[in-house]
Order: sequence, then structure tokens, then C-alpha cells
Amino acid sequence: MDEVGINRISRREFMKNGLVFAAGAAGLAAGYAAVPDVFARAVYSAKKDGVTNDKVLVMIQLAGGADGLQTVMPLQDSRLRAMRPRLSAAMDQALPLANTTLGINRNLRGVKGLYDQGKVAIVNGVGYPKPSLSHFDSIRVWETADPTRRQIDGWLGKTIAKNYDSQGHPLVGCACGTSEVPGALRDLEATLSVVNGENSFKFNGSDADRVMGAIYNGTPGIYGALFDQSVFTARDTVARLRTAHERYVPKAKYNDNPNLVYSSKNQLGAALQLAAELVISGVGAKILHITLGGWDTHDQQLNRHDQLMAYVDQAVTAFHDDIAAYGMADRVLVATWSEFGRRPQESASAGTDHGTASSMFIVGDGVKGGVYGEMPSTSGLDRDGNLKFTVDFRSVYQEILASHLLVDAREVLDQSFERVPFVKVA
Amino acid sequence: MADALDVAVMDPMTDAMAPDDTVMDPSVMDPMTAMDMPEATPDVTGMPAPTAAPTRAPVALREPVTGVSVPDLATGIDWVSPLDKESAKVAHLLRRMTIALSAAELDRAMSEGYQKTVARLVDTPFVEPPVLPAAENATSQAAVKLGDLQTWWVDWMVKSPTPLAEALTLFWHGHFTSDYRKVGLGSPFIYWQNLTWRRMSLGKLNDMLYQVTIDPAMLRYLDLLTSTGKSPNENFARELLELFAMGAGSYTEDDVKAAAKALAGWRQPQTQAMVDARLAALAKQKKPLPSNPPKPDPVKTGVFDPARAFSGQLIFLGLANTFDARKLIDRALTSDAPATFITQKLLTYFATPVPSAPWVARLAASYRRSGYDTRALVREMLLSPEFTAPDTYRVLVKSPTEYMVSVAKALNSQTLTRTILANANGLGQTLFDPPSVGGWGDNAYWISSNTMLQRANFVSTALGQTRTLPAFAGAEAKFLDGVLGPRTATELANTKDERGRWYALLASPEFNLK
Repeated sequence: MDEVGINRISRREFMKNGLVFAAGAAGLAAGYAAVPDVFARAVYSAKKDGVTNDKVLVMIQLAGGADGLQTVMPLQDSRLRAMRPRLSAAMDQALPLANTTLGINRNLRGVKGLYDQGKVAIVNGVGYPKPSLSHFDSIRVWETADPTRRQIDGWLGKTIAKNYDSQGHPLVGCACGTSEVPGALRDLEATLSVVNGENSFKFNGSDADRVMGAIYNGTPGIYGALFDQSVFTARDTVARLRTAHERYVPKAKYNDNPNLVYSSKNQLGAALQLAAELVISGVGAKILHITLGGWDTHDQQLNRHDQLMAYVDQAVTAFHDDIAAYGMADRVLVATWSEFGRRPQESASAGTDHGTASSMFIVGDGVKGGVYGEMPSTSGLDRDGNLKFTVDFRSVYQEILASHLLVDAREVLDQSFERVPFVKVA
Repeated sequence: MADALDVAVMDPMTDAMAPDDTVMDPSVMDPMTAMDMPEATPDVTGMPAPTAAPTRAPVALREPVTGVSVPDLATGIDWVSPLDKESAKVAHLLRRMTIALSAAELDRAMSEGYQKTVARLVDTPFVEPPVLPAAENATSQAAVKLGDLQTWWVDWMVKSPTPLAEALTLFWHGHFTSDYRKVGLGSPFIYWQNLTWRRMSLGKLNDMLYQVTIDPAMLRYLDLLTSTGKSPNENFARELLELFAMGAGSYTEDDVKAAAKALAGWRQPQTQAMVDARLAALAKQKKPLPSNPPKPDPVKTGVFDPARAFSGQLIFLGLANTFDARKLIDRALTSDAPATFITQKLLTYFATPVPSAPWVARLAASYRRSGYDTRALVREMLLSPEFTAPDTYRVLVKSPTEYMVSVAKALNSQTLTRTILANANGLGQTLFDPPSVGGWGDNAYWISSNTMLQRANFVSTALGQTRTLPAFAGAEAKFLDGVLGPRTATELANTKDERGRWYALLASPEFNLK
């Protein structure tokens, strides 16, 4: 807070000041001069600040609890084979990783190709202390980067609020392919875009865009500046998306017709293509979030998980190829996360119950490829029969924030964590 | 001025959204002791030193190339309050206290005048929504659909002859929060909670807090179900004191621990439908029926099980005694905190983001003197000169639900419920699904680029689905008190077709305020 000037006033401060003005309106019975002038001028002048480099992060959420042990498999673990009489078939078909005892899912062929080129980091054993087996609770832990569940703001939202001028650049933080703000992006002080598809982010009605621009101009009252700025940002985003669409020609094939046991409500390919469009067209995208559901494999896991793996493999590979064709693969990092892995012991219905630690994949030309983190042992399970984590998930966040995005990780995570050094440091 | 500053420093946005305390163990606070960081496989030489603090060379993004022009900001200009007129006072009252005003309600209230309308709103017994059988009979095998539950409530917001009940139920839904995700839809509990909150919404605070404590949905939502005298769960006890009744800082951690013990021992009730479903499931799995078959409970509240409760003395708020839920709540209400806490919350929600300290103090004192009679508190709030003072005019932003129901009522349409529900998530408020135990935010919380786009698009859709629009003539007087910003006035004057004028009015900043 070296510079508490006009440019630095935050949305939260504005609201406080706004409230003070509202309350102190005793001398304003006629109703004039109630807007905090300082904020009104700050809204647009802040625009030139804040975007510090050209790095981009794409987080892909595998919602429902993706099984780590059918994704990255300790091939010589006979105990795991015994615990998974049916699911261990996946181990026989796994793609072995050179110089390790591990194999990755047979359907991750594209990702394996990138791994062999040194562009994929696999972090094993990622979890947190006192793990919750509730989807709801554990998603919140990952979203807020807080196992004690005291934080409200998402870690990506905080990153945006503390580092980028999202008010003037609404696509700095964007959820692609959804209509909801994911918890990880939520922050009171960050302006975010949620773009289900570029076709749906527009004003409905032939004259609506013009009318909104005409009306939201010089709006009186304590919320006037906020209203006007929000509508301006919306119209600007609509126009940016149009620009993005004009500037971008995909150079890879995205496919949203995967072969799945249960159909998916998310279109991973389309969402990643939108992400590529936002990155390639230079409209200011910085942190993008995409969700693919369907991983809660309590039954029929062998096929369900493998088919989802193929879907992810195809979409992520297409995204990487597209970005690489535009020469941007060194500044874009893709990472997967899931609220938890699944239990080593398979269930009676050939699925698995909620588990704990799992593996994360990080993909990009800026990645120092290889395997990180110790694979948790199936011999030392916790009292629920789940894996004990070996890498705190916030260490992975730390590396993404400090080494890739080059921001102060401590500001977001409240404390420093040991690095998992998967980002090439110049 | 000093009062105003003191109040504003509290930052209601953060206070209102305090997190829950499901897990609070000092050992998890120190990740370095809890984790054992393995050496990374590829990096045999050991880990490089952590990167130094990054240097930031600001690189500005290119300037907007979109052609969207930046608006002029009206620095220092406020709405001119019309609240010296009786008609504007009445409209202000209805916008604040009935979720949304309709032309018919406005006409009636205008003829009655402000005082009589207050009396009618507050003293008319609340009419309940029709029974929703799918919710009443919900079981884990036949869960009620979330959309059906939301439809049931939103329909009633539009149609209810006693809309104050709906405004208060929505208020308490955001205060005594629960969400369907944790409570589940395989029981009538979340539906019952809505009915209970409506019935108790003008009751005595001690009765309300007791109802909240033993509400089956709440038992699930804040884990009181799992709390026993031997192994108390602090989640509900903490929120009861912090978020529901007293406010942070008015009790100690020891009070939380004592309250958790005193409140332990409740289990959830079983309906006939739930019992039948369970027996049917056992039969289907060809499992033996239990020798002591489950029986339905005759109540729609939690059931107290003394064997799971705590018996013994506790010290709570300085008093050593034996406590049960009722005695604990009564003890909490001997403190100064609850009257001020509830009054402050009520005024902030319905009157002004920063009610003056003298107003809060005056109403809180009455509230306590009346034995925490919430009906009397609401009446006194509405009859206070502060409620219709000029500085309360358009200082509150309609929540998404209020906004969409306002559009439906302005268009005199009772068929927009599906559209309202389809847009709720985009506008940021899904009923029965508040974002946290602190409920929803307010005012500026609702305004973002995405939500403003979604609000405007909701209006487009609603207009598209309304075959016969009411005549526009006089709408700006009815719905906006005739107080228009210059741009809205110009747009309305330049727009000739009725649909376009309705769009401009309903999408305007004026209509987004209440």
C-alpha cells in the first residue's frame, strides 16, 4: 500500500466510502453531492495499471472427485491390484513413464506425447490435512486454498483482485463454458466474466446494447458510478468477444462428441476453444477456469473414468496444439484439479468411494516436465482406508502463482509454501 | 457524522459473510509441520532456492479497441427525494416491504395512506402458500425437485395477498441460512424450514431462535444432529451466537463450547413417507426388516434424545447453571447484544445501508422492552421518521429475486416464474442455495458487468413472453415516482413504441433500486 492514491482505491473501499457518504447525508437533505467523487474518477483511470506480464493460467476442474489411481498408477503395487480386482485392468493397459514405476491412463496418449517432450509435470499425492470426504466441503477447501474453511474468496479471485485491474479488463478472469462463477474465481473486489459461449454473452434484443449505453451514463446516486462502470464493462466485453472471434482461426481440431457412459453437461472442447480464442486474440485474458463434471464414479468406474480421460486428453492436446501453432505455448500453463481422489479399495458396484490425495497434471512449454511428489503408499492408509497426502495442494498453487504468474503467492495463500519446482525459472 | 463513521467501519460486507467453523484445530494451521514435502523426482540436485520477490514491470494492455464509449460519470449528483409526498412514501414502503409493488397494491395503499397501510401489512395474518405435496412427502427415493420448490415460492411471491410475509421470509432465509445442497431434497425439511420461517417471522425472538435451533433442515445444515454431550459439534453453537443472535465479540470461545454442550442431543424427525421408503428399500434389497421398526414422529421439528444430551453444570455468559436450548437462548437474550444486532440487521436490509446509531439504539431498546416482539419492532421501524427520510431514497439495490418479481408484477404477469428461475443463477441469487452460512451480500454485491447484462436480458425475455403489455402511460410515475435521471428521461421521451419504453424503464438504474 505504498500508493494510496486515487488509482488504488478498491471496490471495497468505495463501498465503505459510499456508505459513509450515505450515512453522513444529514447536510444533504436536498440529495446532492452524495457520490464519493474520488471513486468515480478512479474507475477508469485505474485502467492502465496492473497487468504485469503475458502469462496465462487455465485451470481445469475435474468435478466429482476424479480417481487418481486410475490416472497415475503405481504399476508394481500388488496391494493396489488386490484391492481393485476389476479396476486394476487399467493398470495392465497403462502407458508406462520412462525411468519410473508409474504408468498413466491408456487414453492419455496425447498427454503422454507431450510428457515425452518434457512439457508435462505430474504431481502425485496432492491433498491437505484432515481431508473432508464431502464434495461440497472439499471443493470449498480447494477453491479458497484454506483447509480450515474460514476463507470466502477464491484463490484465483484473490489473485486477480490483488494483481490485475479487472475493472477495466473484464476478461482478465473468465469462467468459460459455464453460467456460474466458480468459487475459485469469486472475490468481491474482482470483476469477472462468465462466458458460457461467446454467442450467449451479448445483449438480447436488437436495440438493447445501445439503450443500455444510453441510459447508464451519468447515473445519479451512490451506486451511479458502479452501475455505469458495470454496464460499460459488459458492453466492452461483448465487443471484445466479437473482436476475439474475428481475430481467431482455430489451428487444431476440438471435438465435443466423446464416447461417454453418461453424457456430460459440460462441453470441454468448446470451453477450451473459447479459452484459446481469448488468449490468442489478445483481449486481456489472464486466468481462465473450466469445469468438466462426471468424475464421481461410484459405479462402472473402469469405463467411465477411461472415457473421461480420453475426452480430457483430446481437448487438452487440441488446446496445446492450437496455442503452440500461434507461438504462445510458453506463456500458457494448463493445470487440472479435483476436490479429491478416490478410495483405493474398489466397491461392490465396481466403482470407488470418495477418497483423498490424488495427482495433478500441469501442461505447457514453460513446464519442467517430469514426476513430482511421492506417490502415497497403499500400505499406510488412514482410518477411512484412504491415501495420506504427501504434497500440500497449496504448494502447487504457490508454484503457479510465484513462478508462473510471477505474483506474490503469500498475498493469496496467507503463508508461504515450499515449491514444487515444475515451472522453468529463467 | 461521527456515528456514521463508526458504523461504516464495521464493513458489513465482510461481517455478513463470516465463514463457518466446521474444522478448527490449531494443528492444521501450520502446514510446515503437517506436511512432509518429498523431493521431486527429476530434480536430483535438490530444489532451487525459492524465487525472489518477483519484479513487476507493468505492461499495459492495449487500450480498448471495441468502440464502446466510456460514460460520463455523474460525480456528486444524487436523486432528488420525493419522500415529502404521501404517494411517494407509500410506494417506497411497498418497494421495501413487499418484495415488489404492483399497480393494484399501489392503488389500494394510496387510498389508505401510509399509516393505515403499515397497520394492514403488519397486522393482517399471513396467508400461507398452498401445500406442495411433492415436498411434504419427499423421501430419499422420491426427492422433491429444486425447481418445483423454487416455483412454489416464487409463484407465491407474485401472488400472495400478504406480501410482507414473503419479504420477511426472504430476509430470514438470508439470515438463518440453510442450503438445499447440504440439507438435501430427500426429505421435507428444507420446505418445512420455509414454512416455519414465514410463520415465525414476526414472532418473539426467543421463540424464533428456538425454532431455528430445532429446525430439521438447520440440524443438518450446521451439524447439530451429530452433536452429543460427550462429543459436541460447535458448528451450530458458534453460528447461533455469531451470525444468528448476538454478533462477533459479544461472547467468548468458552461460551461457544458451553453452548455446544447445552444444545447437543437432537435428532431429525421421520415422516411416514420417509419410514415407508426406508422399509421399502430394505424389502427391495431382500434385507430383514428391523425387529424394532422405525416409527414416524408426530412433530416437524428435531426430536430431543436425553441420552445423547449433556447433563451437568455449565458456565454460559457468566452464569453457572444447567442449560437446555431454551434456557441457553433466554440467557443469551439477557445480554445487550441481540437487540442491537437484530435491529441493525433489519434496518440495514429494509431501510438504509447505514442506519444512524441513535435510530438503532432507540429501536433496540424498544425491542428489548417489548420482550423481543418482532412485530412491534417492524412496526416501529416503518413508523419511524427515519424510514422515509430523504437520505433513504434509492439507497438500496434490489436483490435478483426482488428485481425479477418486480418486473413480473410491473408487467402484471403471473406466468413468468419459469423465466425468473431460469435467470436466477445468472443474476446471482438461487433460492434455497445461499453462497455461505452468512447468506447473500447486498447492494453493491449484486452489481457486476455480468449481472447487469443478465438483468437486462431478463427484461428482454420477460417482455418477449408477455403477450399483452399493460399500457405504458403513467408507468414512470407509478414505478419510479416520476424521479428519472436525465438519460432515462431522454430515452423514454425518444422511444415511441410501448415495448421499447417498457424495456428502458425496467432495465433502468432507477428500477434496479428500491
